[in-house]
Amino acid sequence: MKSSRFAKLTEGRSSQTIRIIFIILFTVPVILFVLSLTLGRYPIGPIDVLRVLLSPFFPNLANDIPDVAQQLILRVRLPRILAALLIGASFGGTGTAFQAIFKNPLVDSNILGVTSGAGFGAALALLFMADSWIVQISAFVFGLAAVSLAFFGSRLYKTSPLLVLTLMGILVGSLFSSLTSLLKYVADPLDTLPAITFWLLGSLTSVTWSRLASLAVITLIGVVFLLLIRWQLNVLSLGDNEARALGVSPSRMKLLIIIFTTLMTAAAVAVSGVIGWVGLVIPHAGRLLVGPDHKNLLPAAMLLGASFMMLIDDVARAMLPGEIPLGVLTGLIGVPILIVLLRKNRTGW
Amino acid sequence: MHLEAQHLSFGYIPEQTVLHDISLSLKAGEILYILGRNGGGKTTLLSCLAGLILPDTGRVLIDGKLLTSFSTAERAKFIGLIPQMHIPSFAYSVEEMVLMGRAPHLGWLGSPSRVDYQIVEEALEQVGLFEMRKRAYTEISGGEQQLVLIARGLAQKCQVLLMDEPTAHLDLSNQHRVLEIIQQLSQRGLSFIISSHAPNDALAYADNVLLLTGGWATDYGLPKEVLTESRLSAVYGIQTEVIYQSENGRFIPRAVVPRRPERIRAESLYDHNSFLSQMFVQRDNQPRLLLVTGLSGAGKTTWCTKLARIAKEKGLTVRGILSPGVFKGQRKMGIGVQNLATGEERLLATLNENDYRDLSTPRWTFDAEQLKWANDILADIDESDLLIIDELGPLEFLRGEGLTAALEIIDQKRYHVACVVVRSSLLPKVLQRWPDALVVSGDF
Repeated sequence: MKSSRFAKLTEGRSSQTIRIIFIILFTVPVILFVLSLTLGRYPIGPIDVLRVLLSPFFPNLANDIPDVAQQLILRVRLPRILAALLIGASFGGTGTAFQAIFKNPLVDSNILGVTSGAGFGAALALLFMADSWIVQISAFVFGLAAVSLAFFGSRLYKTSPLLVLTLMGILVGSLFSSLTSLLKYVADPLDTLPAITFWLLGSLTSVTWSRLASLAVITLIGVVFLLLIRWQLNVLSLGDNEARALGVSPSRMKLLIIIFTTLMTAAAVAVSGVIGWVGLVIPHAGRLLVGPDHKNLLPAAMLLGASFMMLIDDVARAMLPGEIPLGVLTGLIGVPILIVLLRKNRTGW
Repeated sequence: MHLEAQHLSFGYIPEQTVLHDISLSLKAGEILYILGRNGGGKTTLLSCLAGLILPDTGRVLIDGKLLTSFSTAERAKFIGLIPQMHIPSFAYSVEEMVLMGRAPHLGWLGSPSRVDYQIVEEALEQVGLFEMRKRAYTEISGGEQQLVLIARGLAQKCQVLLMDEPTAHLDLSNQHRVLEIIQQLSQRGLSFIISSHAPNDALAYADNVLLLTGGWATDYGLPKEVLTESRLSAVYGIQTEVIYQSENGRFIPRAVVPRRPERIRAESLYDHNSFLSQMFVQRDNQPRLLLVTGLSGAGKTTWCTKLARIAKEKGLTVRGILSPGVFKGQRKMGIGVQNLATGEERLLATLNENDYRDLSTPRWTFDAEQLKWANDILADIDESDLLIIDELGPLEFLRGEGLTAALEIIDQKRYHVACVVVRSSLLPKVLQRWPDALVVSGDF
């Protein structure tokens, strides 16, 4: 009994099964997307939602739906849910890519300190009560700065570049976390401190079309890049020497991947605040579904990530009268899922 | 295809050279074995040949073209590398592992197509693993993993495969399976450079063998010429024995085995037919050098004393020196030196009183005058039947001090049999100097 189950897991899935899994993986986010738009204080049925969504193309389709509902869907809920979708896909994809190039299934794109840097950037802007778009830019810039610091810092050492890079990322992350704590310490407890704290807990409440634009552009470019090089991730995950022996230049590829994933992560974090665990958990779920081959895993992780973030955001919006911070939820839901996945995933990682 | 390495030298840090002036050449379908001790530079040499590291001096040529003039992908179409076995972090299937061999043909944005999958199927069929293609690489046996990596090299369509210890960790049947596949592929024109710890495999499969000692290519040539007792003894620092098999009246080397120290009793010299006596009788033979080893306090000096006495009784000329311990109670407090020709004995070294308590290997303070006396005795030795030197230590072999005259008279070979007392830990060093010596442990 036990051995037969084991054999099933060790045999890879047939291409037929994988095709069916991908059909499901594509359908789920579409359904979730529509359902998410129906959720909220002002309930709107899924049919109405679809009609409103299609109304720009067919002008008379949504004439009977109240203007408030239309505005609510198009101005408030749609950008927010699109942001969740993009951020989820981004975290799923970047987490998978980083696990491959770091040869380590326990990292995500935060390992080089991008989130800590972005957190500091946002806290700094919030301390001076800057506009929300300045907060977003500051978070983005400091996120990139943190990764650059870790990356160029690791170049000071010649030996074992991967280990040093990881260590530098952790060091830079701690440095920026400490700086953020310092800012919180000096912040006004009635005014800026709550703002900083809430930002750090993660939220999609304030997403508007204008804030979504930069996120969408960067995420889509990054997603296309990752999808193009996804098969090469297999080769890179064998280590630098083996990759080079297989004709792939690891340093150039890794630099490109780090640049793109960092831009994606920084853009996402700048909009959503700190949201952990998604990039770590989703690739594991993906491996369980489609196996470790990045040709399938990367798109699967992006689709899974998108679904997961929309779902989490729905829970955040709908479970309590007030909003639950996203970063809290991803941890509360992500950690148990990861524990179950690690238990189930017996074919290595 | 012709791979050529000319005068390769390399050091990871400038002061420490790992490879010294190594040249080799490889034709299509040839199998070259690289043998040597751990840390001898085998893996570094393979990395150099694969273009993973740049040699400090020298160059690697493929069909007359410089390896450095190739791009990473172009190079991988000629040379494949199978590193020492390691488990990847992710449980790729056998098929996915082999597919990665297509990477140099696909370019950096490439993704495998139907043709690539066909090539992978073909490669898996060649190594006999087609049925396993969907299994997880991490869960198949070590031998099968090695075959998967060979299949990856086939899918890579390279012309030389460099393999780093392919049979390490494999059981006998898997070793055989892997090596036979290598042999079959070489007959179809694929060349192999294999680093290994198995001289027997080299005897059976290699066209050429390169012996690496401390980064120097000490020997390079046909297996039966390179894998001889004295050369292997020098490389590995142990006594080795090559076992031959007679085939159609010719003797063919089949196996190399380490030889344990010969256990010899000093009294066996009384017996005319004993191994020891025969060495004196066969006077036309080469002079024989015996290295007498054993732990300290095992009775090496006693053995030599006994041997010298018996030899004298039998009328042989005995020369050399003994170093009997000078005891105070149970503790060895000094080292004497005795001239075997005259029986005269002097005190050569004393223990430094202050540190003898804590040190298991005491520090001796040598008397320079007596040391000169001992060296003069040794330098004056002319012809002898039996030469005894008790004992040579790190001082002589590592620092060039102490009884330096002993090294010279041993090299001059004006004796029939020489017995030199050497502690076991120094044997590798000593065997490098005298690879033809016979290691003896006195049956005390």
